[in-house]
Amino acid sequence: MARPGAGSDEALLRSIAAGDAAALARLYERYAGALFGYLHRLAGDRMTAEEILQDTMLAVWRSASAFEGRAKVTTWLFGVARRQAHNRLRGRSGPEPAAAELPDRPDQGAGPEELAIAAAGGTPVAAAIDLLPGHHRDVIALVFVAGLPLADVAEVLEIPVGTVKSRLFHARAAVAAALTAQEVPE
Amino acid sequence: MKELLPAYAAGTLPAAERDRVRAHLAGCPRCRADLAAWQVIARAAAPAGPAPDPARLVRAVLTRSALGGRPAHPPRRLRHLAALVPAEARLIRPAVPVASTLVMLLGVAIVVVQAAAAAPVGAAQVLALVAPIVAAAGVAGTYRSGRDPAAEIVAATPTSGRLLLLVRIALVAGYDLVLALAASAGLAAAGAAGTASLNALVGAWLGPMALLSSLSLLIAVRFGPDVALGVAAAVWAVRVLAGGVLVGDDGPARFIVQAWATTGPVLAASAAVTVAAVILAGRGEPGTGRRATHPM
Repeated sequence: MARPGAGSDEALLRSIAAGDAAALARLYERYAGALFGYLHRLAGDRMTAEEILQDTMLAVWRSASAFEGRAKVTTWLFGVARRQAHNRLRGRSGPEPAAAELPDRPDQGAGPEELAIAAAGGTPVAAAIDLLPGHHRDVIALVFVAGLPLADVAEVLEIPVGTVKSRLFHARAAVAAALTAQEVPE
Repeated sequence: MKELLPAYAAGTLPAAERDRVRAHLAGCPRCRADLAAWQVIARAAAPAGPAPDPARLVRAVLTRSALGGRPAHPPRRLRHLAALVPAEARLIRPAVPVASTLVMLLGVAIVVVQAAAAAPVGAAQVLALVAPIVAAAGVAGTYRSGRDPAAEIVAATPTSGRLLLLVRIALVAGYDLVLALAASAGLAAAGAAGTASLNALVGAWLGPMALLSSLSLLIAVRFGPDVALGVAAAVWAVRVLAGGVLVGDDGPARFIVQAWATTGPVLAASAAVTVAAVILAGRGEPGTGRRATHPM
């Protein structure tokens, strides 16, 4: 991470707090892909993701002065995005989807081989990811879409790194199980 | 080693660890298969399209910031109360303060005219007769009634009816208090015949005013403003008769006059009755009141 110099994230946040709209644009450009990808994966559709992205940047614009420098700008930013997503998606579609039908335990006989085979056969892995419970999708999106190191993911989610890892493995097992379950009837 | 594979697939491992994993993978088919599974997930999770254009997004954010204002914070209590007072003042019909002023002026005029006459009436006696009934009549009208054009809106506001009632009492009683004080000060300064000191003048009407107003309020809350006004007038008539026509040195008349004086117990009783009225106001509707919504 850049040191607090002229072009660093921290300097950009200070400029944003002082009301510099160009700094907001620069900060957004720096994280646009990661932020939008993360929100798109959480929201499931592009329109909602764009709305939450706007909410997020609006919150950054308004509360940049509240950033105390205790956390990294990256984790602060994704923390803001996650809260905004939570605000907008809360109570959207009733209970968490498919928590019952997707087994949460890794030892279901569906291993990495099955997953690779299913993917090779064109089975929609993305759709299976979309059906994951929220806390699994959150970890997948932060690790693979936002591209945050596991330690940063742990900070954003406010959970230990070990929990991040176990959620990753659980999520992968659940995706594999869902794919093999689809394969069976055919 | 397996624990490092997700981060390796995501490309977020530090260089040293990345090289270590790469070296291990070359000789471990199991880990290569595991990595392939993570890569499937990573590819599937990747976003479908590009992120929105920065210029457009920032413009939208700035527009929303300018239009939307700050997120709504609940108003601070004191500021809320400060805003409530002028708002309630606008709801009080102008006839109430105007009529109060006219009656009070009439009382002052009587004192002044009587001062010129042969047998002057004391200013204290006149004010003691006028001020209480003026205040009681004003307070009787404060509780929301069906005729109040704002009654339905008031009933539907999120602010509690008790708080609104307290604000109205404070406004009306305060106004009448200021009016009576002004009349007393004016008479004391003019030195009209039979005028006692300002303290004695105020003492002549303060206790009766408080007691009659609080009774009027309690009845208004329970039975509506019309009943309150009638009862206040009747009670006050008894007091006037006891003090003037039925002058007896003993018996009930004397007791009645003593009950309407500026004394500690009378003021305390007035406060107690006011508290009872405010508590009662939160409980239900007066007989003539209307609910914001009607039961089906």
